[in-house]
Amino acid sequence: MNKATDNNLMEQVRDGNIEKLAILFERYHVMLYNFFLRLTSNRNISEDLVQDVFIRILKYRSSYRGQDKFIIWLYRIARNTHIDYLRKRKDYISLGEEWDEVPSQEPTPPEKVEQAQEIVRLSQALAKLPLKKREVIILSRFQNLKYKEIAELLDCQIGTVKALIHRSIKELGKAYFELSGGIAS
Amino acid sequence: MKCNQIKKRFSDFLTGEIDKATRKEIEEHVTACGSCRDELESLSAIWTKLGVLPEEQPSASVRTRFYTALEKYKQSLEKEKARPNLGKLLDAWLERWAPRRPVFQFSLALMLLVVGLAAGYFLRAGLQEGGEIARLRQEVHLVRQIAEVSLLRQESLSERLRGIDVTSRVEQSDEGILEDLLRIVSSDKNIHTRLAAIDALHLLPDYPLIRQDLVQSLSEQTSPLVEIALTLTHHIKNL
Repeated sequence: MNKATDNNLMEQVRDGNIEKLAILFERYHVMLYNFFLRLTSNRNISEDLVQDVFIRILKYRSSYRGQDKFIIWLYRIARNTHIDYLRKRKDYISLGEEWDEVPSQEPTPPEKVEQAQEIVRLSQALAKLPLKKREVIILSRFQNLKYKEIAELLDCQIGTVKALIHRSIKELGKAYFELSGGIAS
Repeated sequence: MKCNQIKKRFSDFLTGEIDKATRKEIEEHVTACGSCRDELESLSAIWTKLGVLPEEQPSASVRTRFYTALEKYKQSLEKEKARPNLGKLLDAWLERWAPRRPVFQFSLALMLLVVGLAAGYFLRAGLQEGGEIARLRQEVHLVRQIAEVSLLRQESLSERLRGIDVTSRVEQSDEGILEDLLRIVSSDKNIHTRLAAIDALHLLPDYPLIRQDLVQSLSEQTSPLVEIALTLTHHIKNL
């Protein structure tokens, strides 16, 4: 599943062979869903945003030039989709709130309770960060993008990305520490 | 490396985008430096902790919605292809009458361009030499003269003054207008009109006719103001 193949598929979609988008959807929709889930903290909204991204790909397919790696182009559309969503709905539910409010259908086994609390705390800490810092942590920690790719996506220098990751992790640690009631773990 | 330089590499340490030598250098530094060790430990702790956030699977509806949207889009594209397009119809119609022969069509277009340019050039030259433009210019000049003369001969003082003003603004005045202006200087009953006519004449080049008439008119003037104005015109001053 090399990147050249992604680019090649997208070029075919651009040139009218739109069924090929199904392959790209199968490759990337779960990854995009998790990207949005960590950004918005809401499952339904994340699913809607995934749908929006693929609709936009169809709409703007003729603008694909193939100079960028497909994955960078895809994340660029994903970020824009998320930003547009934030503009339209500023009062979205934060991840911690949603996960607090929606209990899982199965009762949590006692050994998992602590892990569940950890997940909620980390999600709440992430939600407290400004968008750019949250994005950079998600992209580097979960989406496995390299510095170079993040720099290309955010349109900045690699050095800036490194410094931003450092500051963001520091701030996340502080927010997590505060949410844990000041108990260092 | 100093603490500052070491700290700049902490994100490399976390993300794993680091070469072995630098990693070793950082590890050696934090063994010896307590402050850097504390910072790296707390950063690593939160970085590792993030791993508990699970990767989730979206619901099945995401896939269903995507394939429905893709199908709809495909259908709309096909409809668009099937719809008769006015441009294409016109192309096909023209093609029937004049099949595409680029070399022939290009030569024809070039020839028409040359013919158009030549026609434009000759038409313009003809107009300039003969005809229409020169005739029109003459007519405009004539109309202007009539207007000037008629204004200069008005009973109303303000109309006569306006006439003088118009005359003084045009670059060339013909002899008829000159005579009218000189007549006003020597015989108009109003001093202001006479003074205005003197001003207008002052703007004109020094013709013997003007000079002669103004000298004669000087001896006939009754108003000292007009006399002074006359002596100040370059026609008389340079005598």
